[in-house]
Amino acid sequence: MIEPTWVAGLGAFLFCIGLVGVFTRKNAIIVLMCIEIMLNAVNLNFVAGAMHYNNIDGWVFTSVAIAIAAAEVAVGLAIFLALYSKRGTISLDEVTLLKH
Amino acid sequence: MGEHSKAEWNLLLPVLAMISFPGIRMAMGFEAIESAFLIVAVPLFIFPAILIIGQMNKGEDWWKNQLKEGGIVALAGLMITLALTVWLIIEFLVHHAEYGAQGTILDWIHFEVLEANGEWATSTLSFGLWIDSVSLTVLFVAAFLCFLICWFAIGYMTTDHQNEDRNHRFFAEFILFSMGMFGMVLADSFLWLFIFWEIMGLCSYLLIGFYWEKPSAAAAAKKAFLTTRVGDVFLMVGLFMLYDLYHSLEFAVIFGDPTLGGTIQGADLQWPLIMMFIGCVGKSAQFPLHVWLPDAMEGPTPVSALIHAATMVNAGLYLVARMFPIFSEASFEGALSDVAMLIAWVGGITAFMAAFIAFVANDIKRVLAYSTMSQLAYIFTGLGAACWLANEGYEKYALFAFGAALFHLFNHAMAKAMLFMSSGSVIHEMHHAHEHAHGDGDEGDHHHFDPQDMRNMGGLASKMPVTSTAMMLGSMSIIGIPLIGGFWSKEGIVGQAWNVYLKGGEMILFPAILVLATAGMTGFYMSRMWFMTFAGKPKSDVVEHVHEETQWIKTPLITLSIVTAFSGFLLACGHFVYWLSDPASSKGSHFMTDLLKHPVDAILYELEHAFLPEDNTLKIVGWTAILLSAGLGPFIAARMHGGHLAEGERATPLTSWLIRYSGSVGHTEVGELAEGGFAIALHNRLYIDDAYEWLISKTLLPLAKISAWIDKNWVDGIIKGIERGSQWMSTYVRQYTSGRASDYLLMTAIGMLIFVGVLWGVI
Repeated sequence: MIEPTWVAGLGAFLFCIGLVGVFTRKNAIIVLMCIEIMLNAVNLNFVAGAMHYNNIDGWVFTSVAIAIAAAEVAVGLAIFLALYSKRGTISLDEVTLLKH
Repeated sequence: MGEHSKAEWNLLLPVLAMISFPGIRMAMGFEAIESAFLIVAVPLFIFPAILIIGQMNKGEDWWKNQLKEGGIVALAGLMITLALTVWLIIEFLVHHAEYGAQGTILDWIHFEVLEANGEWATSTLSFGLWIDSVSLTVLFVAAFLCFLICWFAIGYMTTDHQNEDRNHRFFAEFILFSMGMFGMVLADSFLWLFIFWEIMGLCSYLLIGFYWEKPSAAAAAKKAFLTTRVGDVFLMVGLFMLYDLYHSLEFAVIFGDPTLGGTIQGADLQWPLIMMFIGCVGKSAQFPLHVWLPDAMEGPTPVSALIHAATMVNAGLYLVARMFPIFSEASFEGALSDVAMLIAWVGGITAFMAAFIAFVANDIKRVLAYSTMSQLAYIFTGLGAACWLANEGYEKYALFAFGAALFHLFNHAMAKAMLFMSSGSVIHEMHHAHEHAHGDGDEGDHHHFDPQDMRNMGGLASKMPVTSTAMMLGSMSIIGIPLIGGFWSKEGIVGQAWNVYLKGGEMILFPAILVLATAGMTGFYMSRMWFMTFAGKPKSDVVEHVHEETQWIKTPLITLSIVTAFSGFLLACGHFVYWLSDPASSKGSHFMTDLLKHPVDAILYELEHAFLPEDNTLKIVGWTAILLSAGLGPFIAARMHGGHLAEGERATPLTSWLIRYSGSVGHTEVGELAEGGFAIALHNRLYIDDAYEWLISKTLLPLAKISAWIDKNWVDGIIKGIERGSQWMSTYVRQYTSGRASDYLLMTAIGMLIFVGVLWGVI
């Protein structure tokens, strides 16, 4: 049996990797991947909590979050496709429309 | 012929609606009382329908010519309400039902009130109907006249090309106005009465300002709105005070037990009643809030008829009549007689003043406007006398004065609606005749010619037989010529005002003398109007081109002529006064059977007792009033303004006797009198309007300037300071917006960390 502490620790480690990736990478797809890593890190946290308290709620949250994440990725990729066909790039440095 | 049958086809729609609508309700097994709410509901739904459909289909043939720009639709609605009203009255008469409060139709608002003992009590505002002989009478006047005036308006409005494509606005506002009046009369609480009262106020503003592009009409609309608003504020204060006393505004609560189980003294009610009376003064155009009414003539003539006869001005009278049960409460005896005296005084002063101003008015509609003020003042005097007598315990006389006052309301409304329609007919024709004679293009001349000025008329009797006859009958009713219309009620009012004096109310002597004098003055100014317009030689060449009106205008005039000529007599014989005076009972009906059994006895009884009361002093008063109004007034008017028609012109037999009379009494030159200082003061309406203007310019305008300055420099200054500050700050914030998503994410993360840190107490 793995200790919940190890699971939570792995979650925190993965979260930091995702965070750094989001801040530093320019490619939108990689940023999206990093977001997914962060999301799964949180899922691991849920799992750890569920193990610790011996409560089913955490497992339920995790399965729901995985389903939502799949939908979210689909939407995100669709946005990038539209962005690419319109502006010819998916580099986040070149998409600064928010400023205006 | 084709044109003619087309017009008849139009009329089928309202007639069908009138017959089928109550018919279906009846067939479905409803009683009249269950359908009574439709009297308000039908116009309420027709109002937006006309407005929206009219706006969308402006200028289309079916809308403009078949439906007369909504006029036919409005007429259909008003015919339905008239049919429902008549049905209601018949059921009321047949069943002698103890109608009274008809219970709640719909609950509106529930709210909690903090009682004096610190507990919360639930209060409910609901809408119901209150039906008795008073509300039925006023409702019938409103429904019948709104219907006839709408009919007249179709003929008057749709033939004038300056109204083209905006008549739907007129008819929509017209029907909303009617709805306000019906609702106000039927409401079973002061709250709803006030709401419908305000709907009428709004509609009067809209209708008086119908020709909004004319500066004088826009100013008149504003004046009417603001002046009545002054009264309405007082009315609202009065209602608040009443609510404070009774914790309810429902008629059933207040009239059910005016003492509220002995907790309320008569003196408590003095101020609420005075406040509410001031509201009535504003609405019914009494001194000193009368200034709006003559200016309201700027609206189209049907609107004048609507405001002056059918609806608006009757609202104030109706409210005073509604207060009557409070005055007649036995335990308030003597406590409210000052309020009653105030009502009588305001009435007396207004009656006299308005009649005096009417002496010199040359605008045919203005004469009628001042005559309206004067006649309404009669009714107020009568109601004041009734309230005084009731409060002092003379119940028999009080009920008689009350009934006579409301009877006068009926007679005056019928006669005045007809007079306004007749004057509209004259103005309409003068206007068209002038255009015909001088052409449209002659703008300079157009401005100098006033189709409402009686100094341009004269000798119209031969050109407009129907209009001149109608106007003669209406004037006779207003003057109080024996056996016609107003005679049956005016005598009662004058007599009861004097009766108050004989019973110990010395204070009423002044208004009593004034109304007696006004009886004679009414005889003068109404006759003067008729003679100036219809008798004598034509005073301008325009008269030659005048001819009689279309059917649309003639039919309502003929209908009302018959009603005015006979209704006063018939209703008096039917003991209408007694029926009115005791709303709860069904006295009227068995008096009616009396009449059928012994008609001559009943009529003699009516003549002897009802209008020339038994007391000898009162008999003198009554005969004096008749002598002044029917004899002296018209005689002087005939000497000053009468005369034979031009050679070769002939009037109808109905009016020719009057013209012969006016031509045979000689002539008095009055040019000098008309130039005198007093006449000029009268022309300027005794400077009351100027006094108000001066007062406002000295008090209100400086105050407004100060508050405008405060608004500009303080209130706006704070807002502008905030605006400038945030602009200045935003120049710094702007530097951090790079537009790159990762920067925003970083800031979000830092912000989140700070937030979590604060929550945990780390930072």
